[in-house]
Amino acid sequence: MTELTVNGSKRDLEASTIEDVVRLLGLEGRPVVAEVNGEVLTSGEWADTAVEPGMKIELVHFVGGG
Amino acid sequence: MEAERTKRTPDIQGGEAAAAKNEGSRGETPDAGAPDERYSRQTLFAPIGAEGQRRLAERRVCIVGMGALGTVLANHMVRAGVGSVRIVDRDYVERSNLQRQMLYDEEDAELALPKVVAAERKLRRINSSISLEAVTADVTPGNATELIEGADLVLDGTDNFQTRFLLNDVCYREGIPFVYGGAVGSRGMSAIFVPGATPCLRCLIPAADSGGETCDTVGVISPVVDLVASYQAAEALKFLVGDEAARRDGLVTFDVWNNYYHVLKLGRPREDCLCCGLRQYPALGREEETTLSLCGRDSIQIAGRAPFDLELWERKLSAALPGLKANPYLLRGALPEGGRIVLFADGRVLVQGTDDPVRARTIYDRYIGS
Repeated sequence: MTELTVNGSKRDLEASTIEDVVRLLGLEGRPVVAEVNGEVLTSGEWADTAVEPGMKIELVHFVGGG
Repeated sequence: MEAERTKRTPDIQGGEAAAAKNEGSRGETPDAGAPDERYSRQTLFAPIGAEGQRRLAERRVCIVGMGALGTVLANHMVRAGVGSVRIVDRDYVERSNLQRQMLYDEEDAELALPKVVAAERKLRRINSSISLEAVTADVTPGNATELIEGADLVLDGTDNFQTRFLLNDVCYREGIPFVYGGAVGSRGMSAIFVPGATPCLRCLIPAADSGGETCDTVGVISPVVDLVASYQAAEALKFLVGDEAARRDGLVTFDVWNNYYHVLKLGRPREDCLCCGLRQYPALGREEETTLSLCGRDSIQIAGRAPFDLELWERKLSAALPGLKANPYLLRGALPEGGRIVLFADGRVLVQGTDDPVRARTIYDRYIGS
């Protein structure tokens, strides 16, 4: 388990990469961009980005309505 | 493109000619040459001022989509005195729009007026001194360039990612800033994308669909669309008056029900982006699709080959579809198979009550013929 802050809430997740975090939050395949410690990561970069305890992650899920 | 356009261009200066014309009838317009009190509170706001107001009167915007976001955007742009506002939409007003699409009323829904027609009527009453152009059209790769031509800024009032990516691509190819907005449920987001200066939508997310989350499947509340469109409108005003330093360099995202707010820093355009780096603009190269689904709402639209003579079609279909309703813009009837069919004057056909393209095509072939 790694303790992370995701969208402002503390969570313990069984995740080793950002891709895992996105999957565990049920956002796989959705239009999402991740901001990790202030840096924007698009979906192609998630699998190569390891999570570390205390990381601040914002998952921004794009919405298409209007 | 088969687009219907109506355009009237009053004196966009709102100055002597307009004042003189109105003086006799109502006697409430300002003295010729005196500043119009209409914008007094806006020009008192220092970052706009008289100079900013003059710039607004010279600028042109194009608003694509006149649903919840589009009506709020148009309200802001028209009231603010943006000199030329083009509104584009393919749809007509329904009762389910009234909860949040602020320019429409019960009569518009009863008459099933095209949204741009209903919106234009309201907007002209709000501000008669600007140029307003109403276009009934579906935005496609074939007409997107023409629709945004001449615009200083394009405002996103669309309800699906397919059209947004098309607008993103055409705006970046033409070098026109694009103000994105999106909302669903209680969540919303907005950003201004400026070619050469900021990333584009494609830099952030790959070509996407809404994953089944649309306003027609999970709903949407009115406050969130107002907020999103107001953030868009604020960025538009900054851009249109030339206050580059005030531009928000971030994508604002929030959930008004669950009390979440975040600004994602945008940074620079990506070198590997299909638009910004590689200049390929994939949405513009795509073959035009003949059928497409509308915002997950159990409707399929079929692009027409030629405009409909609605009177002729009313006669043709009246026996097969009793209770057919007509107005100058569309023909609408209940299908004996269930659902409804709508023929638009510009040649499009909407089959409602199905999400199956094959069934929609069958209905089309049955009543329209291919």
